[in-house]
Amino acid sequence: MAMAQYQVKIMLLSFTLLLAVGIAQSGLIFNLDTGELCLQSLQCKSGCCHRKDGVSLARCAPLAAETQKCSPWHLYGVYYHCNCEMGLKCNVKHTIVGVVTNTDFGYCKDPNDP
Amino acid sequence: MIGILPILFLVGAVKGGEVCYSRIGCFTDNVPWSGTVERLSAQLPWSPEKINPRFLLYTKANNNNFQEISAVNPSTISASNFRTNRKTRFIIHGFIDKGEESWLSNMCKTMLQVEDVNCICVDWVGGSRTLYSIAANNIRVVGAEVAYFVDILQKNFGYAPANVHVIGHSLGSHAAGEAGKRKRGIGRITGLDPAEPYFQGTPSEVRLDITDGNFVDVIHTDAGPVIPNLGLGMSQVAGHLDFFPNGGEQMPGCSKNALSQIIDLDGIWQGTRDFVACNHLRSYKYYTESILKRDGFAGYPASNYNTFTSGTGFPCASSGCALMGHYADSYTKVTSSSQRFYSNTGDQNNAFSRWRYKVSVQTTGASVQGYFHVSLFGPNGNTRQYQVYKGSISSSNTYSGFIDVEMDPGALNRVKFVWNNNVINPLFPSIGASSITVLDGRNGRSYRFCGSGTVREEVLQTLNPC
Repeated sequence: MAMAQYQVKIMLLSFTLLLAVGIAQSGLIFNLDTGELCLQSLQCKSGCCHRKDGVSLARCAPLAAETQKCSPWHLYGVYYHCNCEMGLKCNVKHTIVGVVTNTDFGYCKDPNDP
Repeated sequence: MIGILPILFLVGAVKGGEVCYSRIGCFTDNVPWSGTVERLSAQLPWSPEKINPRFLLYTKANNNNFQEISAVNPSTISASNFRTNRKTRFIIHGFIDKGEESWLSNMCKTMLQVEDVNCICVDWVGGSRTLYSIAANNIRVVGAEVAYFVDILQKNFGYAPANVHVIGHSLGSHAAGEAGKRKRGIGRITGLDPAEPYFQGTPSEVRLDITDGNFVDVIHTDAGPVIPNLGLGMSQVAGHLDFFPNGGEQMPGCSKNALSQIIDLDGIWQGTRDFVACNHLRSYKYYTESILKRDGFAGYPASNYNTFTSGTGFPCASSGCALMGHYADSYTKVTSSSQRFYSNTGDQNNAFSRWRYKVSVQTTGASVQGYFHVSLFGPNGNTRQYQVYKGSISSSNTYSGFIDVEMDPGALNRVKFVWNNNVINPLFPSIGASSITVLDGRNGRSYRFCGSGTVREEVLQTLNPC
């Protein structure tokens, strides 16, 4: 009897493990591709969970390239315009309203450019 | 003896069934139409009345609402906006689909933005929503009706078949092949991922093949085997030019999780279609986008996807690339045998077009494990950052890779280099690109840029022409 319980536990454990690995790999919760539904930028491969407006669903999107519109990093983790790509800075004048409503937008700029 | 004669006769009738319809002639179920390995069950096509092929005409004068025209009543053609001084393009849908589905009219509307054509969507929903084996036979009637239509255009209006272009998706591309077989001399036939079951491996009279039109081009987007991949499209080459974007089997953007796939930006219906047959439906999306982005779908000649990835066929010959989609007929080196072309596309609707470059980077500075990205700048703007190489980077080595960028920057005037290794290194190593050579795949034009010094990780280095 004890043996059977032990086996059941092992089976349950390995099943949970398999499920966890499966979920992580298939891109259900983390490691999401561009275009997949997200709640948080951490879930996306690209690092940006983007939505068009306040009522639309958020999807993973590529980061903003140089000269494109962007948002700086934000606590909410969901963006109307994505963060900038590597080495670029989102040039923006912060305002209190902008910080609260997640709407301080700028344009990606290379800080080394003249 | 007399008693068994009727039985023999009956057996013969079942084995060699035949139906005849007025105007379009007879259809048998003899070999190769059935009784072969590819087509085991004997099926005859339904009647034209039941399939009810309808011809829905869009022109510049009516690009929002179609006019229904019919070859049975040629007066409907002369009363419509059909004009004989322009090209005519037919679009035929496939299994389960209908002619009023939005992708067909979208394709017409997109064409009408760039050219003056008679764009005719062919609806055969009466014959497409049934068992697959029956629909696969009904396309013979659809093809015959299209051929009859082209024939009437020639006889009643003096309209040359060479002005006709028939575009078919899935089963529709075999209907286009049937039309081309019955009416010789059709200018062009485009197969958008021709259906595989009941057609792949069959004799050329059954399926779309190179002899069906003066010029036949095919886009393969779901060429994996039916078992186990559920690939619905043919892997067999069928035209003068056969395009295999992304290798032809698995399209980017098609392996989303079910929820993200169904709840699509373009609505639940489009999402559900993609959930069922995403790869298969990509073929008409690429075609539609290619109408507006002429050089965004350049194909590179290679024998398979692996050799393309390693650089075979790159850059295009000086006579120009083979352009997948609407402008495929501009290719000048068409031969009498099939040619294969490979390319990569994007993963999002209306952003599938890509421009391919080869980037060679000579590095300098410390030796690190990491990766680097390059972005291209030109008069039309700049691209995103694309990874060229990942691995161990050591000083004064040259690393090259291919990138498929999302826009055409024009003649390049500078590039930017940035590297990273995602490891915190207290020594703060810094590397740089001393020179970067960028080769444009479209024309073989080469650009050389030089940089000085080195940069720390996640710092951009700008390289100027030299």
